Amino acid sequence: MSGEALLSGFRVLDLGTAMGAFCGKVLADLGMDVVKVEPPSGDDLRAEPPFAKGHSNREGSLRFAYFNAGKRGITLDLSRGSGRKLLLDLVEKADVVIDSHDPGYLDDLGIGYGEMVARRPKLVLVSISGFGQDGPYRDYRAPDLVTNAMGGLLFISGDPSLTPCVPPGGQSYVYTSIYSAFGTLLALWQREDKGLGAHIDASVQASMALHEHVAFTWSSEGRLMKRAGSQHQHVAPANLFPCKDGWISFFATQRHWPIFLDMWEGHPAELDDPELLDNGKRRAAADWLNPMVASFTSRFGKEELSVLLQKHGLPALPVNTPRDFMEDPHIVERGFFGTVSHPVLGEFPQPGVPFLLDGERRGPRPAPMLGQHNGEILGGDLGLSEADLGVLAAEGVI
Amino acid sequence: MPTPNRILEGVRIVSFTTGYAGPYAARLLAQYGAEVIKVESHPGGLDTFRHYGQGNNVNAAPRFIECNLAIRSMTVNIKHDDGKRIIKELAAKSNAVLVNFRPQVLGRLGLGDDELRKANPSIIILKLPGLGETGPKNWYGTWGFNLNAFSGMTYLWNHPGQDRPVGSQGVYPDHLGFISGPTIMMAALLRQRLTGKGSIIDVSQGEVTAYTLGVSYLESAINGVDPEPRGNQSLTAAPHGCYRCQGDERWCVVSVTSDEEWRRLCGVMGNEALAHDPRFATCIERRRNSQELDAVMSEWLATQTVEDVAHRLQALGVAAGVVQNGTDLCQDPQLRHRDYFQNYDASPIGPFEVPRGGILFKDQPEEDIPLTPDLGAHTEQIMRDVLGYDDDAIAKWKGEGVLV
Repeated sequence: MSGEALLSGFRVLDLGTAMGAFCGKVLADLGMDVVKVEPPSGDDLRAEPPFAKGHSNREGSLRFAYFNAGKRGITLDLSRGSGRKLLLDLVEKADVVIDSHDPGYLDDLGIGYGEMVARRPKLVLVSISGFGQDGPYRDYRAPDLVTNAMGGLLFISGDPSLTPCVPPGGQSYVYTSIYSAFGTLLALWQREDKGLGAHIDASVQASMALHEHVAFTWSSEGRLMKRAGSQHQHVAPANLFPCKDGWISFFATQRHWPIFLDMWEGHPAELDDPELLDNGKRRAAADWLNPMVASFTSRFGKEELSVLLQKHGLPALPVNTPRDFMEDPHIVERGFFGTVSHPVLGEFPQPGVPFLLDGERRGPRPAPMLGQHNGEILGGDLGLSEADLGVLAAEGVI
Repeated sequence: MPTPNRILEGVRIVSFTTGYAGPYAARLLAQYGAEVIKVESHPGGLDTFRHYGQGNNVNAAPRFIECNLAIRSMTVNIKHDDGKRIIKELAAKSNAVLVNFRPQVLGRLGLGDDELRKANPSIIILKLPGLGETGPKNWYGTWGFNLNAFSGMTYLWNHPGQDRPVGSQGVYPDHLGFISGPTIMMAALLRQRLTGKGSIIDVSQGEVTAYTLGVSYLESAINGVDPEPRGNQSLTAAPHGCYRCQGDERWCVVSVTSDEEWRRLCGVMGNEALAHDPRFATCIERRRNSQELDAVMSEWLATQTVEDVAHRLQALGVAAGVVQNGTDLCQDPQLRHRDYFQNYDASPIGPFEVPRGGILFKDQPEEDIPLTPDLGAHTEQIMRDVLGYDDDAIAKWKGEGVLV
């Protein structure tokens, strides 16, 4: 579990709020030295549920613990001049700064891109916001529900007889943060190649609006995608089907359909209609075809059926709960989860990086405690003495 | 300032990709200037998305075009010995190979990791299979739709208290795959550039999906109980939901975190009494009485036009938004301001527009993204300019079924 880091040797200052925190996590997981900068009262995420049982304090937020895993952490009060001065001292030693405050916030504090670049030419600043650094919606409030709505994914999500349903876990922020990590690495490549810094303007709305061909389907076909529950728009059976102990996700295209009928002894004769070999015809028949498929799937357990279908070359996987997934033998054998040790939360399993490098996986690391690395970073890197740090702490700057 | 579209100029990537995630990952790298050479062969080895088009024209499939902008297209029959030789020569002159075939497909054809590494010791081989190259289920066939279910995403993507899971009609894991793949590729390219080291990287799309759900696994592991679907409910905001407005399938989302925002919302509603209603005075009270609150919101928003009310709320600092459909997105003034859509006046599927992407490089204006080429459009040019073959050799291999 001690796989090598893919890319070490870069320093990132992470001023990310909930919106951009995952960007720093991705860069930390790739191997960069990511320093999370929090106000002395703690990052807002520290106050966000869900909490670990019995730890509804600033070390107990599971969102903070996961989104900041693998980072080091310091505190700095950016509302004070001495805090801002220290921040710019740190910028001087950084390759990348991630920010996801409202557009203009850092500029108003006098620590925007211009001031940062004056201290650190060739800096890569990644600004993550709901709608972008300028434009008519620049100042719009952008919680995850709003960005999923304005980005178009919400409109096509959920059962059509119910209200549109937002994806779980703040996906619009997470997705945009990964996109921003991609942009960061592109900018670092440009820096190596041409000696240039960059300012990246990442928009959550824009990152979501490319999903599921929603805009493209309208522009290319003049067709409006709508909510369809779990029914895929082009293929059937491609849906969730009931089993004895839960549900299975089964997706059969043209080439899978005859194989499926072959393995299903005693299937209804109307399914042998050669017209149904065509994806479009089967999709059009989904309303009466899906219940027939359900009568077959409900004879089996979900895991049992997924193995049976897969053995025939048919794409199917069970609808897992989080726990089911964690206990799946495939996930266990690939070592996706490793154990982290946290001073307050104790030992628990947490995802490592989502890839193997030369056959090895880099395991997970814990999030920093509030101000945990003040000494080694402000003292070690900036050369502040114990006495200096004591004064800053007494003044509430750190 | 230089255009971002040439950042990766000089980087060459061989792409063995099919479907959504792999091709789109390659497209994102091509969009930033990498020379992405997509290898297919006709008729047996085409990207599956080419078959979801208009008739039998393999160049006129909309989603193939969307996912393969800016690439170069080369036809090589990799089942033929000379085809394998050409791929190895190409690998020797490339930075990376990107592949999302099922595990071992290239290996069985004699183009596995060892062979490619022998051709180029510092090559990056980035694989993007469904469940990864190793493990007891590595042989499974999966679509993004199935991986959504496997990870727990489908289970959690639902309103609370429903008797059946819903998840999504779409393939969200493909989206996570096609943004994570290029991100990891870029890290590997920087490592290669700075240290000379190659790497073999096995990215599981299932794990990439699960990577975004870490908080739910922590909840399950630390608190001992699987989290339930929360739908549009928030653990911190109220009101926080999606409400029907006037018109067909017109919806508005609203999310209120502070009491100040609540008072402003009541102002927009023109309902002073509500602002003083003790049931809704604080966030804690609003969450406690969320059913009554949702009823109030639903009743009010049912009388409103979403395009109007969402922007009136935002103008006063209340988080709200139109639940935008495909038409709305194409007309969105903010996306237009970002020059978000690349427009093509002519293509095998007629004129269309397509999203460029989620990020901009400030003060670095972008160029047009080249349209998806026809199948095999670059075969001869690559054989000549990259591998140094003359017209005779190319003609011979075309005749022998190698470059088809």
